[in-house]
Amino acid sequence: MSTPLGLPPIAFFSLLQLVSSALPVGAYSYSEGIETLVQTGQITNLETLEHWLTQELRSGALRVETLVLRRVYEALTAGQLDHLITWNHWLSAFRETEELREQSWQMGRSLTRLLSELYPQAPELLDPAGEPWNFAVGFAIAAYLGEIDLEVAIAGYLYSWASNLVTAGVRLIPLGQTQGQKLLMNLAPVLAAAADTVMQAEERLPLCTWGMAIASMQHETLYSRLFRS
Amino acid sequence: MLDASPQPSLQPPLETFPENAAPTDRTWHGHLDLEFSHRPGETILSRSLVKAPLKVQRPFYPEGKVVCHSIMLHTAGGVVGGDRLSSHIQLQPQAQALLTTAAATKIYGDKGIPASQTIHIQVGAGASIEWLPQETIVFDGALYHQSLKVELAEGARWLGWDILRLGRSARGERFSKGEWRSHTEIWQQGRLIWVDPQWLQGGDDMLESGHGLAGCPVIGSLAFVGEEVSEEFIVSIRNLLDIDSVSVSSPAQIAVSRLMSGFLCRYRGHSTSECRQKMIQVWQRVRQVYGERSLCLPRVWQR
Repeated sequence: MSTPLGLPPIAFFSLLQLVSSALPVGAYSYSEGIETLVQTGQITNLETLEHWLTQELRSGALRVETLVLRRVYEALTAGQLDHLITWNHWLSAFRETEELREQSWQMGRSLTRLLSELYPQAPELLDPAGEPWNFAVGFAIAAYLGEIDLEVAIAGYLYSWASNLVTAGVRLIPLGQTQGQKLLMNLAPVLAAAADTVMQAEERLPLCTWGMAIASMQHETLYSRLFRS
Repeated sequence: MLDASPQPSLQPPLETFPENAAPTDRTWHGHLDLEFSHRPGETILSRSLVKAPLKVQRPFYPEGKVVCHSIMLHTAGGVVGGDRLSSHIQLQPQAQALLTTAAATKIYGDKGIPASQTIHIQVGAGASIEWLPQETIVFDGALYHQSLKVELAEGARWLGWDILRLGRSARGERFSKGEWRSHTEIWQQGRLIWVDPQWLQGGDDMLESGHGLAGCPVIGSLAFVGEEVSEEFIVSIRNLLDIDSVSVSSPAQIAVSRLMSGFLCRYRGHSTSECRQKMIQVWQRVRQVYGERSLCLPRVWQR
């Protein structure tokens, strides 16, 4: 086997493992506000779901979170381990709703526990946190340990996010499985643009979180819920 | 404006920086440096250094001496590109202050360079601040960068809001170009509790999309930080605002959720007065529960 994506084969398979929906972090139980939007008629079909996900990739908190993933990966590469905790705190404080914060912490906890079992060098990186690791930070650590290139890791993170929310949308709206796969293909150029932006960002990124914040906050009040966010 | 008549209080005279006579290059570099201190049974404005066009009115006490009310003002009528305003507000331990502004802050949009406002607030142990400025109106084409850093000591509390109108929408003006950047950080005993790095771009899809502002020209945020709030408290806020359930016919435009220590309320809509009314309700509830104090609306809002 040669070097797919420029990665050594072991790293390539680490990437597939990390972005797989089989990764046991419970991603399938979160909709990030989409359940609210479906119940209130703001997302009703493939087009409105695609619009929502596209806007998140263009001006949402996801890109900022992915930029933190990049900062953590760069800190690991530079041996600046104290930066991990700083960025982890920053992400916790950036989570403006309780459900989104709990989601990030729960998924981060599951991932970092798993890493501790998979990599002998993981526990020394992961021990010092005073609060739960956020998922994006855990993902950066996983990518570093798996020797996955930063650029590939960022694209993989965005893809696994999109894949999870398309699955949530397919269940909630509902859409056919084929439509879900079509949507995932439609999103590819937007995912690529978001990955480029995150790789090139100097410091800050355009950001508007009002719609997401209100949808996520309102999710706490839904009478019946399939999802935890 | 400042009243030069003698006052029967212990307030020191209001000082003015000497170099404030005129703006340079027709832009302003205004500064405000205020300190509030606790004395037995009262809070006083113990330091007040101002540099035009920023000023502060002599404090007043509409609800007794414990809470010092102060009104900040911008005397130049509006902010233009290149203006730099900065404020440093310090509350000594146990002090209690309410700050607001005399009028809406207008950010004009004709220069193509950013105006900035930087605010640093330090709240000492057991002190509390209510930061309730009137709305900011960002005219079409304006570039405005605001940053707010709040540092809370042990037992200190923050209640603050920020109300923004994008474009003079009452005249049908849209925010078709320009930008509003706002970076807020609230720290409690060295731990970052909430960071909010918004960056809205004029004419972008984010203003029209339901994912962003859904075409709403008015947005607001209210945060209470310093103490963990209960789920029951959040439910009571939702009941107050009648947002405990959502429906297809009226998706919510205001919502609330807990922060790590406190809570956040977000609003989007079409009316600054509606936004302020709703936020006053939330503020009143916070006062009832955490201040054991009833509402006292600054009279300057009632004009």
